[in-house]
Amino acid sequence: METATSSKHLPRNLILATAIGILLIVSISMTPAGFFTWLGGRLNVFSTVFLGIFVEAVPYLLLGTLASGLVEVFLDRDQMGRWISKRPVAAAVSGAFMGMVFPVCECGVVPLVRRLFHKGLPLSAGISFLLAAPVLNPIVILSTAAAFGWGQMLFLRVGLSLAIAVVTGIIFSVEKEAGNVLRPALTLSIEHDHAQTESNDSFVEKIRKALLITADEFFEMGRYLIMGILLAATLQTFIPQSVLLTIGSGPVLSVLIMLGLAILLSICSTVDAFVALGFVGTFSFGSVLSFLVFGPMVDIKSVLMYLQVFKRRPVFYIVAIPFMMSLLSGLLFNYLLP
Amino acid sequence: MKSSKTHKQRSRSQKQAPKPDAPGILNLSLDNAATGLIAILSVLVSLTILLGEQAGVRVRVNLPENGLVAPYQTITFTFSEPYNPGFASELVSMNPIHEGYLEWVDTYTMRFVPIRPFELGVTYTLKFEKGEVETRGREVKKAQTWEFKTREPLVAYMLADETSSSIWAVDLNGNPPKRLTDESVKVISFDAARIGEFIIFTVANEQGGVDLWRVSRAGGDAFLLLDCGRDRCTTPAISPDGLRIAYSREFAGPSPELPFGSPRIWILDLQSRQNNAVYEDQEILGYNPSWAPNSNKLASYDGLSDQIFMLDLREKTQSIFSSNTGGPVTWSPDSSKMLFTDVDQAEEGVRTQVKLADLSINKSETLIGAKDDRDYSYYALAWSPFGDNVVLSFHGGDDPLVQTLWLFDPSTLEGIIIADQKDYSYNSPQWDPWGTALIFQQFKLRSTFNPEIGLWQPGFNEPLLLTQGLMPHWLP
Repeated sequence: METATSSKHLPRNLILATAIGILLIVSISMTPAGFFTWLGGRLNVFSTVFLGIFVEAVPYLLLGTLASGLVEVFLDRDQMGRWISKRPVAAAVSGAFMGMVFPVCECGVVPLVRRLFHKGLPLSAGISFLLAAPVLNPIVILSTAAAFGWGQMLFLRVGLSLAIAVVTGIIFSVEKEAGNVLRPALTLSIEHDHAQTESNDSFVEKIRKALLITADEFFEMGRYLIMGILLAATLQTFIPQSVLLTIGSGPVLSVLIMLGLAILLSICSTVDAFVALGFVGTFSFGSVLSFLVFGPMVDIKSVLMYLQVFKRRPVFYIVAIPFMMSLLSGLLFNYLLP
Repeated sequence: MKSSKTHKQRSRSQKQAPKPDAPGILNLSLDNAATGLIAILSVLVSLTILLGEQAGVRVRVNLPENGLVAPYQTITFTFSEPYNPGFASELVSMNPIHEGYLEWVDTYTMRFVPIRPFELGVTYTLKFEKGEVETRGREVKKAQTWEFKTREPLVAYMLADETSSSIWAVDLNGNPPKRLTDESVKVISFDAARIGEFIIFTVANEQGGVDLWRVSRAGGDAFLLLDCGRDRCTTPAISPDGLRIAYSREFAGPSPELPFGSPRIWILDLQSRQNNAVYEDQEILGYNPSWAPNSNKLASYDGLSDQIFMLDLREKTQSIFSSNTGGPVTWSPDSSKMLFTDVDQAEEGVRTQVKLADLSINKSETLIGAKDDRDYSYYALAWSPFGDNVVLSFHGGDDPLVQTLWLFDPSTLEGIIIADQKDYSYNSPQWDPWGTALIFQQFKLRSTFNPEIGLWQPGFNEPLLLTQGLMPHWLP
């Protein structure tokens, strides 16, 4: 029956495809020649931006998925229970500092935090880890220091990121049911996962399993990373930075523009300090700071990856709370300094 | 069914999901807590904007807390919001009026660059009036004033013995000198910034090369500025604006036993950290770099071709003057002329000459020594910062070791001897920023080697011994 239906619809599809093809050919023939030159230039920009973000992000995704695989195989659920406090504030704070142990940026932290949820990491700790780890890790601290020196900008970046991550973590601690926050697939896999971790494998077998998990997760999360990068590259191609920069003056608008740029540029937190350094002098201190704080927490690719772990509404909160806190801190510094 | 679960099963299922933290804060749902926080943050953002807009634009000035500034201190105004240079410059005033100009740095920063040094002993009042600072009507709502004075200049110098070589600084009031670099660092040579904030010095490294180091005016915080590896980076010269270092670089040979390459002039930009050879042409050698007072021109000596190369970094033009002494040049205050020495092989024998190069016409002429009855061996020159006189060290008497300091007017060549004590030799004169005091190296001849630093000011019958040491530089 299905075959008959398909063959019945085929001529109609063919007619539709032919019509679209003809329409395209007519449109192209009527398009001014300059358009193709422009489009070619844009495509060059697109591929450069895409490859730039991709090459920058993929190693960190690999690192994150590798950490995830190792956590799955070597970390015992009971150990997790012992290390992380059950009290909301303490859990959120300890979650934020976990970045010092797992040096991952925003691309790698998502698969890792998903795995840690498998292992029973409290929501508040997981959320604060998710938001803080891209800044509170040694690589990012050193790169920020290299760009801005061991001064105000570095300490404020670290301090504000910590504060925002902890506050957001505490907010999530009020949720009694993890299923309300995490996607159903994740909750189910937790059940399944628990049964698997009872096995008593040799070290080599554990490593093999860890690598298998790494590969699976890398390709799974990699899809969303690539989709996010495609989106970021498209937006960057058709909304040039210069447009944003020209309207980005003033204490309020400059912060909003820099927050928008943080989302749009989707730069890895390990190198974003050097990009931010280029904005000093053009943009206010508060806006550059908010870029450095908010960018590692939320950007296009990370939001797409968050959506694979969390339900939509929690993702909205994960985006909105850091956004509002970064905006507030940027405004306060703009209005208080000098 | 639920009730049929064992206690063990129940406790396991409790562990399975990432349980939210045991006792929740208050009795809120996530939606309530999150939207409540977002609402509070929205109110705070609105309040911040409201109060911030009422406060107006704020201005900060980079004056030190003690109110003491360098003679050529650049005063930077930082605005809390983008400003319009035309609007903002109307609101700035200084009492007493001081010669300088306002410069746009970036969207938030403007600076006052003094053309003449701030006077010693004068209290300056800087005022920023209230008023609009940009085109959309944003304004500074309250006038602000700042007061500052010029700090006393120091003299930096080197003290060396068989085991150590350090940089010290001393004031002119007789206070004890202060060591700026510690004993572990053996200084070879140095230059002090005209802005007076730091010193660049050279130190030999373990690979046989020579590195550039930096230490602040306060001392004790020396750090490696440029690791030259096996190369030798020597004769540093700081641009008067304090932003670039010119130095001479000799590349190491392919192996340690092979000799170093010929010296070439390089510039290290202290802001961008860019470090490049000045001349792409590797045939142009150079040492003893010397910056013009405007920081845009750089002279250096090529000992292979016996020429002084002058490069205008802003105009990208180059001038060449022949000289075979290799002595450093001195610049006129407006950076348009240079004085340097040259040796002429005349029929009567060798004659050292002082030449004046006019960079506007790219020509040089002999200023002193064209008709000398004998060779006076002119050495170091120092043009006063206000152009009215030049100090020259030369061999005047019969004793071949003695060098005398002569202060003269370059337009009339009339002058006076300012240092010619018996058995003393004087060299390396340097003017202070105001052109009112001169420091120089002096040696007592035919005695133990004991280098001294002398000081001369108008009205002195003879130089004053400031301290013992080498290579004196003003640290304003």
